[in-house]
Amino acid sequence: METNQTKAKPLALSGKMSNETFITFLMIGVLLFLFAVAAVFVPNFYQPRNILNLVTNSWYIIILGIGVTFLLITGNFDLSVGGVIAMTGVLSVYFSQAANVSQNELANGLGLPYGVAVVLALICAMGIGAVNSFFVVRIKVPSIIVTLGTMMLARGIAQIVTQGAQRNTSLPDVFGVIGNVSIPGTPVKISVVIMILLVIVAFIFERMTVHGRRTYLIGANAESARLSGVNVNRHLTTLFILSSLLAGITGLLMASEFKAGISNRATGYEFDALVISLLGGVSIAGGFGSVLGMFVGALILSVVTSAATGLLLSPDWQFTLKAIAVFIAILSQGYFLSRRKG
Amino acid sequence: MKPNENVLEIKNLVKDFPGVRAVNNVSFDIKRNTVHCLVGENGAGKSTLIKILTGVYERTSGQILLNGDEYNPHNPREAKQKGISTLFQELNVVDQLTVEENLTLGMEDTTFGFLRKTDKINRIVSVMNSIEPSIHPRSKVSTLSVAQKQIVEIAKAVAAESDIIIMDEPTAAISEGEIAHLFNIIRRLRENNVTVIYISHRLDEIFELGDYVTVLRDGGHIATKPVSEIQDRSELIKMMIGKTVFEQYTPPEEDCKDIILEVKNLSNHRLKGGINFDVRAGEIVGFYGLVGAGKTELARAIFGADPYEGEIIFKGKKLSPGPGKSIAAGIALVPEERRTQGLFTILTIRGNIPVMNLENISRNGFINATKERNVTIEYIKKLNIVTDSTEKEAAKLSGGNQQKVVLSKCLFANADLLMLDEPTRGIDVGAKSEIYSIIRQLSKQGKSIIIFSSELQEIMNICDSIYLMYDGTLRSTLRNSCDVDSEMILHIVTGGE
Repeated sequence: METNQTKAKPLALSGKMSNETFITFLMIGVLLFLFAVAAVFVPNFYQPRNILNLVTNSWYIIILGIGVTFLLITGNFDLSVGGVIAMTGVLSVYFSQAANVSQNELANGLGLPYGVAVVLALICAMGIGAVNSFFVVRIKVPSIIVTLGTMMLARGIAQIVTQGAQRNTSLPDVFGVIGNVSIPGTPVKISVVIMILLVIVAFIFERMTVHGRRTYLIGANAESARLSGVNVNRHLTTLFILSSLLAGITGLLMASEFKAGISNRATGYEFDALVISLLGGVSIAGGFGSVLGMFVGALILSVVTSAATGLLLSPDWQFTLKAIAVFIAILSQGYFLSRRKG
Repeated sequence: MKPNENVLEIKNLVKDFPGVRAVNNVSFDIKRNTVHCLVGENGAGKSTLIKILTGVYERTSGQILLNGDEYNPHNPREAKQKGISTLFQELNVVDQLTVEENLTLGMEDTTFGFLRKTDKINRIVSVMNSIEPSIHPRSKVSTLSVAQKQIVEIAKAVAAESDIIIMDEPTAAISEGEIAHLFNIIRRLRENNVTVIYISHRLDEIFELGDYVTVLRDGGHIATKPVSEIQDRSELIKMMIGKTVFEQYTPPEEDCKDIILEVKNLSNHRLKGGINFDVRAGEIVGFYGLVGAGKTELARAIFGADPYEGEIIFKGKKLSPGPGKSIAAGIALVPEERRTQGLFTILTIRGNIPVMNLENISRNGFINATKERNVTIEYIKKLNIVTDSTEKEAAKLSGGNQQKVVLSKCLFANADLLMLDEPTRGIDVGAKSEIYSIIRQLSKQGKSIIIFSSELQEIMNICDSIYLMYDGTLRSTLRNSCDVDSEMILHIVTGGE
């Protein structure tokens, strides 16, 4: 009887959008709403210049968010990204600083050519990712614990190399280029362009590739994925190293921007990256979420914080506002998703 | 409360699941202070009945009287309070705590939040002592053997003053000596006013231990008799399988061709003694055994999902272990637990069907969305999956349709050897016969199939060769034909020589 019905009715193919797309649109709606509210109360909030700032100001969190989002989709955390930023930044400075030029230890580096220093620093960043994946994949330690450890390890290395402070002298001029150069005629920095390119690549990876698909399979059910022939261990290893590499790139760009390797750089960024992923609808249970959603989540956070500044709220309010935004977003996602199921 | 000869009276009990009636109008009584055995093939309704008694499931209709009073527990806690405790196969003890702490868990007395040693606790500990003095109350449960943990659970049930203790396959995981010891404890319980409902696939145990036996078959009640009135195991087996009419098994028209799979001396921690067998192209092979016989372990070992010793030769080449490598070589597995091992329940049907062969729907690593959709539609139609959309979440499908999605996955992998572990467990009759006809079709195309099942009828219906398993070993091999002796088969898989 049931089968006859289905034969009579043609199979609906694309009538319904996926839950991920739905959440992304929902969050875009929330973003527009918050923007409209801010535009009413904050003078000049709607100016193009300000809108541009909303996007460009959080480039570093968005780059981190890419790796964090993919790992969340597999059901894993990466809390080490903030530490990796500091470590990579400090190491790139240390490797580039001229050798034996000063009495001050912090002014002496290894004197390596800039290109070599950059590559070495990125390899060190990926080393942290390798440690993460080793413990998660081989020793089966939960990622939240492992990356909590490497978060401190990476920052610890940064503090040892800088003696708990920073390194900012005897650097070649070329060191400060990539973090400060803008696209001619615009205020948009190279870092922002890199961020946009990475988001596009990540989006294509997520939606169109076999490996993107496998990322979801692992998060949806790791055992089913394994029994379906997915090499779960290799895939997770790659993603952990990728996430650290992205954090490393961010660290290099930030070190270049300030021409300094600062050991307490990017403290708490791992949580900001987590927050924007959650705002974008990524599920910590795994198997669900999207990079585009994460991007929208970053913009929501950006609107909230800059509107608060515009309203002359004291910076002390920032965390509380972030918290409220997160609660509203998560609750509305749950509400609309459950309404949708019916 | 008047003393009553029957501690439990079950009257016209019915339990329906969507599409299946698992317990069909069952009525019988359990006499006070006896060991009452419950037997039946897998799917006979034993575990459903137990789950109703312990408050896991709600009955559809019928009545249960406990000590003459209406008994309708809504959860296991309530069942326990009313005097029915259960020893499940998965033991319910906390490894990190001591025996004493386990026994008193949830009933500690405290003073200002500090634990206090009271008479109650002393009494519970003395219960433990009287049952099994060799287990020290202060030892950590993690240091105990499985058999000892069982005894701790029994002590817990006794301390809770249970009238009835249900034991579900308590001897499945313990050694001969421990079994004898357990039986002594059970006999002592009976002397101390405890009724034991005992479930086991090992029929010899019923004759050794049981006072009464109830036989269930296909959800229905067949008989309840004193064990002394039953002559031998073959009489019991006859009641369990009844006059089973096996559907038309038709032997293949032509003889099967070349050997495609050779398993040589396979063993691991659950498979003993080295397992040897061959599978030919186009052959349907069945492995039959009861729960715990090692069928799933064998399937997983061949597929490379679990480690093993020995050698597997597939299409003339030694197979290197690992699910990915097996799939690449041309082997697919429909796993035992479809929801946790086969399906991606939060993904759509489209997200499920192509996953074992993403290469087929992609080019240079990029997925061709049109091809993906077409493949999904093709299998929805081919296997008659009831859905209104390719974008329906797998979790929202019925059991039979979920199994068809898992089967589609494996078919799309285009394997030459398809292994199916309990392919029709918990799905309705219609979907069952559809799955059988797909299997027959595949065999006609020259694909080889191995079915691992604890349903004899299933094996007899479609398999050309039948292997019988018991306790992790291969016991016997036979060719299927119309005059296969099903009593002999049941004799072997319940541990008979």
